Amino acid sequence: MNLPAALAQLVGVVAAPLLPGLIQSLKARLQGRRGPSPLQPYRTLRRLWRRSRVQPAGAGAVYRLAPAVVAACMLIAVAIVPVAGRGGSFGLGHDALTLLGVLALSRFVTAAAAWETGNGFALMGAARELTVAVSVEALLLLTLLLAALAGHGTDLRLLSATGAGWAPWRSLAHWSGLLAFGLVVLAETGRQPIDNPDTHLELTMIHEGPLLEYAGPDLALLQWAAAARHWVVMVLGAELFLPHPAGFLIGLVALAGLLAAQCTALAVIETAQAKMRLLRVPVLVGFAGVVVLAAIFIRAAGVSA
Amino acid sequence: MTQLQTVAADAWRTQIEAAITQRGERFGGAWVTADRHWRALLVKGADARVISCQAGERVDSIVDLVPAAGWDEREAHDLHALSFDGHDQLRALIEHPTQGERWITPVRGDGVHQVAVGPIHAGVIESGHFRFHVVGERILHLDTRLFYKHRGLEQAAVGSTPQEGLRHAGRACGACAVANSLAYAHAVEDASGLWPSPELRRQRTVLLELERVYNHLNDISAICAGVGYAAGTMAFAAHKDRAQNLNARAFGHRFLFGSVAVGGAARALPAPAAAELRGGLAELRGDVLASWRELEFAGSLHARMDAVGVLPAEAALRLGTVGPAARAAGVAIDARVGERRLEYDALRPAAAPRPDGDVEARFQLRAAELEVSFELLDELLRAPLPASAATRGLRASPVGVGRVESPRGETVCIVELQAGRVGRLHLRSAAYANWPSVAHASAGNLLPDFPLINKSFELCYACCDR
Repeated sequence: MNLPAALAQLVGVVAAPLLPGLIQSLKARLQGRRGPSPLQPYRTLRRLWRRSRVQPAGAGAVYRLAPAVVAACMLIAVAIVPVAGRGGSFGLGHDALTLLGVLALSRFVTAAAAWETGNGFALMGAARELTVAVSVEALLLLTLLLAALAGHGTDLRLLSATGAGWAPWRSLAHWSGLLAFGLVVLAETGRQPIDNPDTHLELTMIHEGPLLEYAGPDLALLQWAAAARHWVVMVLGAELFLPHPAGFLIGLVALAGLLAAQCTALAVIETAQAKMRLLRVPVLVGFAGVVVLAAIFIRAAGVSA
Repeated sequence: MTQLQTVAADAWRTQIEAAITQRGERFGGAWVTADRHWRALLVKGADARVISCQAGERVDSIVDLVPAAGWDEREAHDLHALSFDGHDQLRALIEHPTQGERWITPVRGDGVHQVAVGPIHAGVIESGHFRFHVVGERILHLDTRLFYKHRGLEQAAVGSTPQEGLRHAGRACGACAVANSLAYAHAVEDASGLWPSPELRRQRTVLLELERVYNHLNDISAICAGVGYAAGTMAFAAHKDRAQNLNARAFGHRFLFGSVAVGGAARALPAPAAAELRGGLAELRGDVLASWRELEFAGSLHARMDAVGVLPAEAALRLGTVGPAARAAGVAIDARVGERRLEYDALRPAAAPRPDGDVEARFQLRAAELEVSFELLDELLRAPLPASAATRGLRASPVGVGRVESPRGETVCIVELQAGRVGRLHLRSAAYANWPSVAHASAGNLLPDFPLINKSFELCYACCDR
């Protein structure tokens, strides 16, 4: 086991809630409000953790186990994604396709839990989440494929090394990958213009919908999982598609900067953009998919290395 | 003075039909009196008359001639046990039966299901229940169930003096405090033959427009919130707060409570205060205009509003829609035009920038109306507003009618005096008139667009919970 890298990955488990916290805090500033501290998600988690478990009538095993399964999925995802090009190898490997599967599993479990209780808003949100996921997961797969073509493998450590330095930026395909992955980050983190994490309007919810019925420690696990999803896709974005150096230590410093930059970008987008009309989301994602497909063809044909 | 014409109960339908089709009058609400007369208000421009019949237990329904009377008949049935021949499936409105079939419209078909929202909401929203009939994300039909906090204000006012009655009418709703109070004051003055002096007319017009300014600012903010456009939400929420602070400085209350009195002015606005208010409004107007220009360039915001929640002009006329919602559909109804009890000679009603009846049209119209209100206020506040009283000299009307253009449209108040005391109070606010239009405009749209459509009307619940 690579101890420093393993430690760096464990930081992700702890630091993940800081990312949505930072986005919220920046958003408030941009909107002229004082806003919460970036540490607010930790306070929320602590508060929720102390509360009792309240479950709706008719909640069965799927509903009860879902938060733990979702959190476990995201824990695995955090362990799979290498930090600054290195990974602790917790016996899970660092394969891109495994990551894809784990992310999909957590989404499926959330939807299954909504199905079990039959809450209208939960089902509505789950249905929307799955509708959006069909296209977003395809886009994520395509962008990972694009990176894999350059790295000749699906090991994320390898892909991180391939994306390091300035050389990849001479290829148009890499720029396309950046564009598409930006959209993946927006969708996977449930941010505007695709989803509105701040809304109290049940009718408009996507990701928040299935979470409505959860309370206490269950909700804490789900909220941590949502934060971990921020960590996973943003670290992945920084490692694969944003400019970063090759070394480990300098890579860690760069990663911190890149995460902060992504949080800022998300805060700016969320302040300046209204949420999209629901049925337009697949169109936008589809457009990005076409761009990536074109890039894959270019790369596969070897037009530019 | 308002004419009262009593007709035979079996002539009710023909009389109403003649008024609508031949005389070109518009239905303005209906109510039951203590001695079981069923009365309707018919308006044409600034003129209004009341037509009445002895109803007893049943009366002919006019809902097929005037769909706008649908709620009035359902309310009369629930509160006064008046039945309507020809109003089939007289669904419960104010009464909340447990059996769904007594109030929910049956909608059947492949994949049709119901989505229930409220009456408890996750935000700071009043109590209201929405029952959507949907296929997938598409709304087929919407049943609204409001009136959760019925307070019996109208009944409580019976027997009180005209001054005391204002406390009931004026507190029906916070956001419409001036409109409701003023409609009540006009109704009492109509019923007792009072006519407001020029100073009183000016002061009341100022109050009504101040209410419109902060409400329109709030509505623009709310529409932005409906699509998650935070920059617009926050900017206009801040403007609204400034407008309310100006209200408080000038009249002592952010919602302008207690600023209207019956037969006179509740307080005077001396020259320095009037100048301060005028200056504050001019400053606010500039900032609002700057914010509005920024909104005009927010493409993602406008992409959400175009062709969403369409209320066609034909439907607006049929449903009796009033206020900005009607005007945005191209139906030029404005109770301010020609209103002689207020000072609206300088009013140049804003032309709807695009009379398409969609959310975008209602959004644009509010901004245009804000400009008109700012202009009016600037003109009216050139001089101080001294305390002034209404003068006697008119003939008293048997039924006092007050019609006032609230930020949401025409609010009607009916006061019938008996031996100097309130014998009947009926408040039919613009929100009451417009709720059926929200349901109509929602059909055919996507479920996640409903909050936006709802906010583009921005109706009160409390105005109905009277």
